[in-house]
Amino acid sequence: MRIHPSLLGGATQKNARRPQKEPVPFQMLLPLQLKKTVSGKGDKLKEAACMQEMALMFACFKKSDFNQQECLKEVAAFQGCYNEYNKRMTTQREQGKKGILVPGEKKLTHRQLNQLMRSFPPK
Amino acid sequence: MANKMKIIKKSMAWYYPNYLLPKIRGVIQCRDYARNTTFQSYYQNPVFRKEDQAKLIESSELSKIAAFPVKPPAACETSSVYHDPIVNKVINHIMEMGKKSLARSLIEKAFENIKRTQIERYHLASTQQEKDKIELDPKKILHQAIENSKPLLQLTPIKRGGITYQVPGPITENRSLFLAIKWLLEATYEKERTVHFPEQFAWELLDAASNSGKVVKRKQDLHRLCEANRAYAHYRWQ
Repeated sequence: MRIHPSLLGGATQKNARRPQKEPVPFQMLLPLQLKKTVSGKGDKLKEAACMQEMALMFACFKKSDFNQQECLKEVAAFQGCYNEYNKRMTTQREQGKKGILVPGEKKLTHRQLNQLMRSFPPK
Repeated sequence: MANKMKIIKKSMAWYYPNYLLPKIRGVIQCRDYARNTTFQSYYQNPVFRKEDQAKLIESSELSKIAAFPVKPPAACETSSVYHDPIVNKVINHIMEMGKKSLARSLIEKAFENIKRTQIERYHLASTQQEKDKIELDPKKILHQAIENSKPLLQLTPIKRGGITYQVPGPITENRSLFLAIKWLLEATYEKERTVHFPEQFAWELLDAASNSGKVVKRKQDLHRLCEANRAYAHYRWQ
C-alpha cells in the first residue's frame, strides 16, 4: 500500500528534514556589528582597459585590409593607452601594497582603508 | 668608384647600433637569473652599455645603485660596438642544448646570405632611387623583420557560463617580442630537408622586413581573429 506524501512529512517528523515550526527562533551566529576591516573584493576593476582605442583600431584595420602601415596613428594610440594603463596600475598596486595614504585622495584602496581604520578604530 | 664607396659606407652602418630602438633595449636588458640563483634579491642587474651608464649618471641615479652589489654580466653582455641585444635574443632562441657558438654561426651565416642577396639586388637595380631603397645592413633587416612581425593583440581564453571565449586584449611589449621571434623561427623550421637553416632564415627575414611572407600573414590572421571576436572584448577582466 502506498502512503500519501502528506502523511509522511509534517511537523511531527523527528529528523532534520521536518519543516520549521513558526515562529522560527533567532540564533545569533555572528556578532551583530560591522567588522573593523574591509575586504579587497570591491577593488577589482570590472571594466576592460582601452576598449575605445581597440575599437578604433579594428575599424581602421578593416578599412585597410589589416595593413598595419596605414593605421599607424590608431596603433600608436592603442599602445600608448595600454602603456599608460599599465603604469597607472603598477603605481596603484605599489601604493596599495604599502598602504601609503595620499592626502586628499577620494578613492582609497582596501589596504589604505584598513590602515585608516587601524589608526582610528571605530567605536 | 663612387658607387663602391657608397656600398662600403652603407655596410659600415652595421657597426653602429645607433638605430636601436630604446624601448626594445629597455625590455631586453632586464636579464633575470632563473631559480636557484646564488644572488640575493637586492643584487642589481649590471649596466654594461656606455650609453646606459651615461644615462644613469645624467639622471643622478648612479649614487643610488652604487650602494648595492651588482650581478656579474654574462659573457655575451659586452660594451662592444658589435653588441646588439636583439641579435643576442635571437641567438638564444635558436640555441639548442647550450650550443651557443653553433647558434651564433648559424645567424652569422644567415646575415651573410642577406647581405649577398641585398648586394645582388643593389647591383641589379637600374636607377639611383631604386638603389637607395635597398637596405644593405642585415642587422637593420632583422630589426625591421621583428618589428613587422610583432603582434599588437592577443587572445586569452576566458570561461564564462561553461563556454570558453577567446577574448582579444592588448599584449605586453615583452610577449609580443617573444612571439615575433618564435613565429620567425617556426616559419624557418618549416622547410625542405635540403634547404639549410641560414638560407631559409635569411629568406624569412627578408620577407618579414618587406612586410610580406608567412610571419606577417600569421600576425594579420591573429588580428583578424581578434577583430572577429571583438564582441567578447568586454569579458576581459583586469
